Parts: sequence; C-alpha cells; structure tokens
Amino acid sequence: MNNIMQLRTFKNIHRLPGNLGRYLILITLSLIIMAPVFTAVSGSLRTNGDFLSKPFALPHENIQWQHYTGILEDNSFWQSAVNSLLITAGVTVLNISLASLLAFAFSRIKFFGREIVFNILSIGLLFPVVVALLPVFIQVRDMGLINNLWGVIFPLVAFGLPGSVIILRTFFRAVPIELEDAAYIDGCTRIGFFRFILLPLARPAIASVATLQIIAGWNEYFLPLLVLTDPKKWPLPLGVMQYQGQFGTDWARVMAYVTILIIPAVFFYLMTEKYIVTGLTGGELKG
Amino acid sequence: MSKKIALFLIVVLVASLVPALGAASAQDKVKITWWHIDTSDAQSATWQAIADAYMAQNPNVEIEITILENEAFKARLVTVMQAGDPPDIFRSWGGGVLWQYAEAGLVRNIAPELEGEWKDSFSAKAALELYGQDGEYYGVPYTWGAVGIFYNKVLFEQAGLDPEVPPATWTEFIAAVEALKASGVAPIAVGAADRWPAHFWWVYTAIREGGQDAFLKAYNREGAFTDDPFVKAGADIKQLVDLEPFSEGYLGMNYGDSQVQMLDQAAAMELMGQWAVGAYQGSDAAKAEVLVPQLGWFPFPVIEGGAGNANDVLGGGDGFSVGANAPDEAVDFLKFLTNVENQTALVTSPLNIIPTVGAAEVAITDPIALQIIQARNEAPYFQLYYDQFLPPAVATAVLDGVEGLFAGTLSPEDAAATIEDVAAMELAE
Amino acid sequence: MAATRSGILSGAGEKIVSERFRREIGKTFTVLLCIVPGMVVFFLFLLIPIFQSARYSLYDWNGFGPLQNYVGLDNYRLLFENKVFQSSVQHSFQIMVMSLGIQLPLAMAMALMVGRGKLFGRRLFRTILFIPFVFSEVITAIIWRYVLHPSSDGLVNVILSNIPGYDTVGWLADKDVVLYSIFAVITWKYFGFHMILYMAGLQAVSKDHEDAARIDGADEKRVLRYITLPLMGSTIRLTVFLSILGSFQQLVIIWVLTQGGPVNSSQVITTFLYKYGIKNFKLGYGSATAMILFAITLIFSIGYQRIIMKQDYGDMA
Repeated sequence: MNNIMQLRTFKNIHRLPGNLGRYLILITLSLIIMAPVFTAVSGSLRTNGDFLSKPFALPHENIQWQHYTGILEDNSFWQSAVNSLLITAGVTVLNISLASLLAFAFSRIKFFGREIVFNILSIGLLFPVVVALLPVFIQVRDMGLINNLWGVIFPLVAFGLPGSVIILRTFFRAVPIELEDAAYIDGCTRIGFFRFILLPLARPAIASVATLQIIAGWNEYFLPLLVLTDPKKWPLPLGVMQYQGQFGTDWARVMAYVTILIIPAVFFYLMTEKYIVTGLTGGELKG
Repeated sequence: MSKKIALFLIVVLVASLVPALGAASAQDKVKITWWHIDTSDAQSATWQAIADAYMAQNPNVEIEITILENEAFKARLVTVMQAGDPPDIFRSWGGGVLWQYAEAGLVRNIAPELEGEWKDSFSAKAALELYGQDGEYYGVPYTWGAVGIFYNKVLFEQAGLDPEVPPATWTEFIAAVEALKASGVAPIAVGAADRWPAHFWWVYTAIREGGQDAFLKAYNREGAFTDDPFVKAGADIKQLVDLEPFSEGYLGMNYGDSQVQMLDQAAAMELMGQWAVGAYQGSDAAKAEVLVPQLGWFPFPVIEGGAGNANDVLGGGDGFSVGANAPDEAVDFLKFLTNVENQTALVTSPLNIIPTVGAAEVAITDPIALQIIQARNEAPYFQLYYDQFLPPAVATAVLDGVEGLFAGTLSPEDAAATIEDVAAMELAE
Repeated sequence: MAATRSGILSGAGEKIVSERFRREIGKTFTVLLCIVPGMVVFFLFLLIPIFQSARYSLYDWNGFGPLQNYVGLDNYRLLFENKVFQSSVQHSFQIMVMSLGIQLPLAMAMALMVGRGKLFGRRLFRTILFIPFVFSEVITAIIWRYVLHPSSDGLVNVILSNIPGYDTVGWLADKDVVLYSIFAVITWKYFGFHMILYMAGLQAVSKDHEDAARIDGADEKRVLRYITLPLMGSTIRLTVFLSILGSFQQLVIIWVLTQGGPVNSSQVITTFLYKYGIKNFKLGYGSATAMILFAITLIFSIGYQRIIMKQDYGDMA
C-alpha cells in the first residue's frame, strides 16, 4: 500500500518514473486478472477433452468455432437473451427509481419515524436471498407471479433495495445543505430539488448502483430457476444447464456460453462507466 | 442514463410483461408435467420421442417436459415440494428422499395400478422396492445397476498383474494396489471432493464386513453405526488410504477429474456405477475410444473374515416417481415408458440403460453391462447407496465421516461416531 | 386602531398557520411518495419471507407439509454445540478480516490510479480491472476451479512450477491453504465493486483542496493522507460496512469451489446453512443458522453505524 502511494506523484519531474511504476503494477495485476478470462476463452475454442486434460493450452490446430455458432444459431438462445434483457432492465429501472426516492427521503427530509423506517430497511441488507428461498417462493406464488418475469424482478429488487438505498444515501448526504437552501430560496420544490439538482449531482453514485443492479439481474440464477416454469421464459444463466449432465459437463461449450454472456455485461459496464468517472469534476461539489 | 433510454426501457418492459391474454384453450386435454435431468440433446430427444409416441396414441393427453440439470433439478424439486406443488412425473432415485416426500403426502401411491402384470414384468425387484414402502409404491425404476470396479487391463498388465484374473479378495486387492503403484500409475481414481465416489468405498467395505444384518440393525436402531463392522470398514479404508493409492490432490478432485485420470491412462481403477463407460465417452470421445476396449469390471473384493456374502451388491439407478396430484394418465404413461418395447429401445438409445424389465434384458450385449446385470439380479442383499437410502441428514453425516477417513483427519472410530451421532437423532423416530 | 391591528395580526397568524399546515401536508405527501412504493416491494418480497424464516427456526421441520414439531430454541442449542458450526463462524470472520485488510486497500489503490488523473490507457485498465465483477459467481467458481486445480495441470501450479524447488500445492485440496485460495477468488471477483464505489466517491473530492495543499508544500503522500482520504471518509466507511456484510454472505463461490471442504476446512456460515439446512431438508435448523448469521451481522452493523458511521449522520441531526 505504501509503495503504491509513494508512486502517486504528480510533480512533473517525477511523472515518468512514477508512471512507470504504476504501469508495472497495473500490467501485472491485469495479467493476473485476465488469466481466468483467458482460460474461459481458450477453453471455448478447443474440444472438451482437450480442455479437461490441459486447461491452459492455447487453441492450436482446428479451432472449434462450432461451440459459438452452435449457441448463436439456437433460437432458444435469442429468446433467453430477450428474457435476460427484460429482467435486467426491469430490476435496474425499478431498483434505481425506488431506491433514489427512498434515499432522498432518508437523507434530505426530516420526518417522524425516519430512522425507524431506515433501520427496518437496513435489516434487509443482513439477509442473502438464499436464506429465505422457500418463503420468497411461497410469497411469489401466493401473489400469482409464478412463471411471470415480475416474479423474478420483484424479489430481486426487494433484496437489492437496502444496498442501493444505503449507497445512494451516503452520496446524497455529501451534497452540501447550502445547495438545498439555495434551491428552496429560488422557489424550487422538494421534488424539484430532487429531480433537477440532487439526481444530476449524484450521477456517479446512481451509475455505480445501476452497474451493480445490471450485473445482479443479468447473472441471477436461483430465482428464475424456481419461479419460471416455462423454458421459453428462462434468462441466459439457466441456458448453461443444457451442457451439464448428471455425470459430466461439456466444459468447452460452457466456456463458450460464458464468454458470450460476459460480452454484453462488459458493454453495459462501459455504458455506465462514463457517468461514474466523468460525471462531475471537482468544483460543483465544493462545500 | 438519459431520460429517453430509461423511458424506452420502461415502455418495452411493461408492454412485454403484460401477460398474454386469451391463451389457446387446451382445457379438454389432460396435461402431464414431466421433469427429467437428461440434458444432452440426444438423450432429451429420446425422452421426447417416447412422449410423442404416447401422445400420438392418446390424443387427449399433453405431456409437458421440463429438462433441468441435476443440481438445478434438486434445488427446484425440493422447493416446489415444500411449497406443496409436486410435478406429475419426476426423476427419482428412490430411497430416503422419496420416503420423506411420501410421508408428507406429496407423491401418489400407484400400487393399485402396479400390482399384477406390470409389477411382475420387473426383474430388478429390489430396485422396485426402493420406490415404495409398506406395500405402497410411488414410482418405478427404468434403469438399475451395480457399483463395481472398472479397471484398465493394459495398466494391470504393465504392473505384472494378470488382467483376466482381477483381485477377488481384499488381500489380493491390496497387493494389486501396491503393484500398480510400483509401476508408476495411480492405482485408484476417486473424485473425493464430490464425496459420493469416496463413500462407495466405505459402504462396500461395510457391506463386506457386516452384511445386511449389520446395516439393518443400525438402521432399525437395534444396533449402531459404531458397531464393529462399521469401525472395521473404517480401518479397511484407512489401510487403503495409507498406501496413498490416489493421485496427488485427490481431496480436491471431483468425479469429472477422476474420469480424466482414467481417460489419460494415469489411473488404473475406479469404483463406479453402471454409467461409468458412458461418462468416459461423454467427457472425451477420442480418448474413450482407446480406453473403453481396455476396460474390465470386477465386483468389490471379498474381505476375509467379514460377515457379508460375496454376491452382496451396492448399487442404484434411476426411475420416475408420480406426484400426489398427478392424473391417472401419468401413471399410464409410466407404464408405457417401462413396457418391453420402450425398455428394449432405451438399451441401445443414447440413454444406455440397464433395463429393469426382465424381457428387455436380452437387448444387452456389452460384456460389462452383462456382468453388472448379473450382479444386480443375483444379489442376495442389494443395498442402495447410503447417501440415497438414508434420510438426507444421515447421508450427509456418512459423507462427512468418509471424507474424514479419506483425508486422514478422522480415525475409524471417530468416523463411525460422526455418523452415529446424527443417526441416533434422525433414525430414532 | 387596536382592533384593526389585531385583525391584521390575526389574519397574518392564520396565514402563517395555514401556510405551515400546507407545507406540512406537502412534506408528508412527498415523504409518502418517496417511501411507500419502495417499502411495499421491500415488505412483500423481503420482510414477510424473512419473518417466515424466523418462525421456521423454532421448529424441527423438514419443509414438507404443514409447519410442525415446535422445539423452541433447540435448533439454536444444537448449533452452538456443533463444532463444525463453530469453525464455520471462525472461517467467516477470517474472510471478513482478510477482505478489510487486503481487498479494500487494493481497491482503493486501483481507484486512485485509474479513477482519475491523466494516466494514458487508464480506461482500458479500468475495464480490465472491472471485468471479473461482471462474471456470475457460479461461472467465477467454475473457472477458478481449473485455475486452482490441485493437479500439476492447474494454472497456478503450472506458473509456479517455474520456480525451482516448487512442489505442487493442492490449492483447494489442502486444509491449511483452501481458505486463502477462496479468499483470493473472492477478491478477484469483488474488488472491482469497491473500486467502482471509490471511483464514484473520488468524483466528489474537490481538486481545489488537494491543489491548495500542494501549493502549501505538501507532498503526495500527505495530500493523500490528510486531504483525499478524509474527504472520501463516508465512501470508505460505506465500503467497509458493505464488505463486512458481503464477507459474511459469501455462498455460491465457496459452495461451487469446495462445498466447504475438504473436511469442512472452508465451511462458512452460509455454506453450513446450505449444506446442513437446505440440502439436508432441515429447514428449521437452516433458518436458525440464518438467524444467527443475522444476529452477528446485526451486531456488527449496529456497532459500526453507531460508532464509526455516526459522523455520516451528524450533519442532518
């Protein structure tokens, strides 16, 4: 940690060696990080047997593109892709809308019982979905949402909500109170302040929360498995099942499927990332 | 994200999530939901063909198939069972789990339909009994086999062992292990991280040490899993483990890894069920072409001084059970699925079954499969895998105990005690 | 005159009162608008199921048929007596400590390097650093099983075998190593999450403050120590909080990698719950485990919020 910090030198004269050190660290780390990714990609281009006995060889002779073409030519893949997009979009939009409203109330409005409601919500953070799968399933069933994408979206939103609210609240609080007073003096309503001042200012935080929710929705496995009975409604993560048998798995195909699955996820990240990093630069948030 | 994109997403979402109204009316048809776990294209097509054939003969029936991967299947089945909505027909291995469903009234007693001709057609009688209890039946097996030792004859020969005379006693077996180790291969491949492959070893030694008697006593609580035969079984495993007959890192290897060791000719023996050859072929077709002709099969060796019969068998297989609310047509379909024509057809299908119906056995030609079917049919005592037979909590304790033996962290006595602690609680009722 | 005056006054008073009243109504309306939709979803799909779980924990129930066999706190007693459970709790704590001590500083260092500034190629590095986070947990574990494979074909063993005298390590097979291997995988997957939050937090740090300090002659170490990090205080406290909770809730990665093995040496509270509760059809026992997990994280989070995060509440109080 100390070493890394020593390398943080902006002084012109130190810039070059400083950056060299940074590049060294970043490149080493990138290699470590990419090794498993490389495993997946190279595995997907070889035969299953080849992959199993030498997981890390480069694809040499006859590259196995058919794992990809096989998946992409399958109609059910595209059907699942649409379902995945719907679930992801539903979870993200709903989560962000509900969480930002809640976080706004918890951070900028004083009202009776605020801390109690907030604490109740925080309790949700202490439970992973898996501890309550059966009662969640029963609740979804009793509300008539079995085999309905909403039956996946609502529980995911509910379990994601506490985390999103806590993250957003932290960032909403960072917006100086003077800004709010000024807005009210200018005749702005509360909702107006929320909509036109707070939300734009908190764009990096909202974009980060959105990234987390997109990834959570995109990768969710358990809830669709339990809730969606019709394979036509299955999202992509369930599709990988067709390559797993009771006593053996076609890993090469699984790896191809995985590679296809992460490409959109990286793309989603790149879409939101610019809001996280370049949303604001200094000045606007001066206290 | 810009407002327009967000708005667009919301519109798309709402529009597409509105449930389709006025779905085609199929209310006159009897609908059967059928869950199986044979995910590969060829295998699922085989089941689909049988369903299609049945629907062609019975136009009033509609069979809806759901294919789930093994672990996913188990997770979803348990949840719908606990919620009280079992599917009409579902994959089942019989034994303790099925009995728990039965006690909760979640499966249908098909004894009235089964009694008579249908029941008599089964040659795997012991297997059928595992799909019921106290005169009730909740399902039928369609493939059933025995666990035995698959061995590589070429590697045996290289180690100076006669490949045509595999070890018949524990002493001979231990000698073979030592010879194989000296020849530079891993004598035994075992996927200990999956735990169930390791548990085959301990259960078989317990069967050889104590026979049916010891197990029934422990199961019925007239005895205990700390009784002599079970401790001795642990000592046998310890003797084996101490020879270091497995490849390095075996505690972290799963069944997929042990297949690879066999396929790579790096290990000589694997204690496994009837599916082993199919699994080698599925894992790496090219290497299996080399390996499979080299393979032989022999029953688990007899342990000198043990109370078990040499022909006692550990085994199991696959079947289908019927959910509590299933229509009569579901039972009829199961009868269709296990008739002689379908059982015969399944032998040569990609499902590669060992038929449970006697008249279909003639379709078997593979020498190893013939050995397995003989072992299964002639066993004076047929024991279903403990991890299927016992209630899940006791099964977990068995797997924990065996894992400790394989890791060398538990003495034979401690391993037995680990199992008995849970058994005493769970089997008492 | 007096009458007029009092009339004016009383009129003004009424006006103030009604204005206030209207504002109160408006505020209440706003609060309800903000809170009700989210809380309804939260209540229906999280709180009710959790309450059900709490109830199950008092029964010796396998989940099939009606809820029965009330046993009071028996499930809890069995848990506390269980050695495997005790070690599971300990493993959970170990993962938490490692997460706080290694994962977060790493994420912060990366956020500082690529989250701002003018480093050439920082966007590329940022994407690479974040890629693991887009992998699902199941996929992460499946791939890492091969990377950490105990045979000499595992990637880590292949690379390390270049070191003379290196003996193949069973990264997931050795009882003494497995927990650290698992932690490495968790770090690989999750440090990007914290990095993102730090990057978002960095945007709120005013460059002017840092520059002012530099002009005053502070070196970079001091700028970081006394300006940047304190300004990111609330973000850091937030990630510590989320990291504590996240460590305790790790399940899928560990389950797929080792199922808590070998011989329970990587069993944590959640995998214990899954193995001995859900898989064993011991719903009551499993729910009791969930409640203990809840109690531990609750104590941690209340303590943490009261003592450490208090300053984040201060401005509004």
